[in-house]
Amino acid sequence: MIHFDNVTKVYVNQNRPALDHVSVDVDKGEFVFLVGPSGSGKSTFLRLVLKEERPNSGAIHVAGKDLARLSNFKVPHLRRRIGCVFQDFRLLPNKNVYENVAFALEVIGKPRRFIRKVVPEVVELVGLDGKAHRMPDELSGGEQQRVAMARAFVNRPMILLADEPTGNIDPATSIGIMKVLDRINRTGTTVVMATHDAAIVDSMRKRVVELEDGKIVRDQSRGVYGQAY
Amino acid sequence: MRANFIFSEVWIGLRRNLTMTVAVIVTVAIGMALLGIGLMINAQVGSMSSYWSDKVQVSAFLCKKNDPFQACKGRGAVTPQEREALKTQIEGMPQVDRVFYEDQQKAYENFKASYSSNNVFLSIVKAEDMPEAFRVKLKNPDEYKPVFDVLSGMPGVSFVSNDKQLLEKFFGLMNRLRNAALIVAVIQVFAAILLIGNTVRLSAYNRRRETGIMRLVGASNLYIQLPFVMEGTIAGLVGGVISAILLMLAKVVVFDGMQSYFVLSTQLGWSEVAQVITLTTVVGVLICVLASFVTLRRYLRV
Repeated sequence: MIHFDNVTKVYVNQNRPALDHVSVDVDKGEFVFLVGPSGSGKSTFLRLVLKEERPNSGAIHVAGKDLARLSNFKVPHLRRRIGCVFQDFRLLPNKNVYENVAFALEVIGKPRRFIRKVVPEVVELVGLDGKAHRMPDELSGGEQQRVAMARAFVNRPMILLADEPTGNIDPATSIGIMKVLDRINRTGTTVVMATHDAAIVDSMRKRVVELEDGKIVRDQSRGVYGQAY
Repeated sequence: MRANFIFSEVWIGLRRNLTMTVAVIVTVAIGMALLGIGLMINAQVGSMSSYWSDKVQVSAFLCKKNDPFQACKGRGAVTPQEREALKTQIEGMPQVDRVFYEDQQKAYENFKASYSSNNVFLSIVKAEDMPEAFRVKLKNPDEYKPVFDVLSGMPGVSFVSNDKQLLEKFFGLMNRLRNAALIVAVIQVFAAILLIGNTVRLSAYNRRRETGIMRLVGASNLYIQLPFVMEGTIAGLVGGVISAILLMLAKVVVFDGMQSYFVLSTQLGWSEVAQVITLTTVVGVLICVLASFVTLRRYLRV
C-alpha cells in the first residue's frame, strides 16, 4: 500500500537530510505507528506519501502508483484515496460538524444525495451522533478531532495518515480517539500514525517504525514505544 | 461539478472583500468606458471621413456688391468676363475633376437646406447676400495646394475655402480626444490589473483554511481556483455593465448632442455602439480573468 525504496529527502538550505535512505513497506490494512523525537522525519514521511514534497532520491509507491511518475494533474486523485488527520484538527470554524464533513465531499464534486446519505453514517461512526449541528467552538478537543477523523474517512480512503492526532488531547480522551482509529482500521483502511505518545503505542501493540535523524532505527511488529523514553 | 457550491463560495468571497471588489468594479467600469469612447470616436471619424471623402471640394467664392473681403475692396461685383476667365482657368488645370458654377439663388437654397432648423438665421439672410461660387471637385483631395494658390490670386475671387482643411482640423481634434481617452483607459486597465491582483491575494489569504483543506481532501485545481477566478469575472462583468451604461449615455449626450453643433457630421448608429459595448465588456472580463489567474498562480499553492 505504501512502499518507500531508499528514499532520501533533503530540504532546501539544509545540510542534514530529513529522511536518509529510508526503505519501508506498509501493507494493506496494516496499523503502523511512526515514532521518534521531533525532527526525526515523521512529518516528512507523511508529506512524501501525500506528494506534498518530492524525494531527492529513491522511489515511492502509494496505492500502486509510482509518485515520481504521477503528474501534478493527478495528485488530487491520489489525495482522494488518502485521509489526513492533524494535531490542530484544521476544521472550518464557520461550519458545523455536518458541514465540515460534507465539505470534503462537496469539493470533490460528489452529488448532494450521496453526501446526505454518507455524512450522518460517518458522524455516527466517530461517535458524534446527535452533535451534527454543533459548531467547532462548541466541541471539546477530543470531539473536534473526531470531526476531523470523520472528514478524513468520509470518502472511504485506502490510507489514513494521522500526524500526532492526540497531541492536543488529554490521555483519557486520547483512548477514545484511538478506538475510532482502530475502528477505521478494521474497515480495511491502512492507518499510519505519527506520534510521541508512549502510553498509546504501548497499549495498542501494533507495528512500530522508529525514526531517528531521518533513519529507521527500529521496525517491530507488535512493538512498544521504546525504553529510551 | 457542483454549481451552487461554487457560487456560494464566490458570493462569500465577494462579500468578504466588498471594498476591494467595489474598487475593481469602478476601475474596470471607467477604464472600459474610456476605451469604448475612444473606439466610438474612431468609428465616428471613420464614418465621417468616408462620408466626406467624395464630397470635399475647393470652393472659390466670387466678389459680390460691397463685398467686405480684402480681395474685393474698391471694386464692384465680379464681371462676366472675369467669371468666364476663371472657369476656363479652372477647367484647364490637371488636378481638377469637375467644376460647378453656383449662382446666388442656388447658394441661397443650399444655405436654407443646411440651416433649416435655424429660423432666426434664415430670416436675416437673403439671396443677394450669398456669394456666387465655383465648386471645384479635385481628382485627389490631397492635391489641393496648386488649385488653391491659383484661385486665391485671380481677380474677382473674394475667398477660397478648402473643405479638406476644415475637416482636418475637426478630425485632428477628434483624434487627440481619442488618444487622450485611450491613454487614460490604458492607465485604468493597469490599475485594474494591480487591484485584481491585490483582491485575489486578500481573498486567498482569507480562505487559506478552506483551500488548505480542499487540497488535502483532493479537490481538483479547477475546483480550488474557480471561485477566485469567478470573483474576478463577476467584478469584471459588473464593471462592464456599468461601462455599457456610461457608453450609452455618452452616445446620447455627447455624440448625438454634437449633431447640433456640427451640421457636417454623420450619425453614430446604435449598432456601432452595441459593437463597442460588446468589445469593451469582453476585454474587461478577459482582463479580470487573466489577472486573477496569474495572481492565483503566485498566491495559491495547489
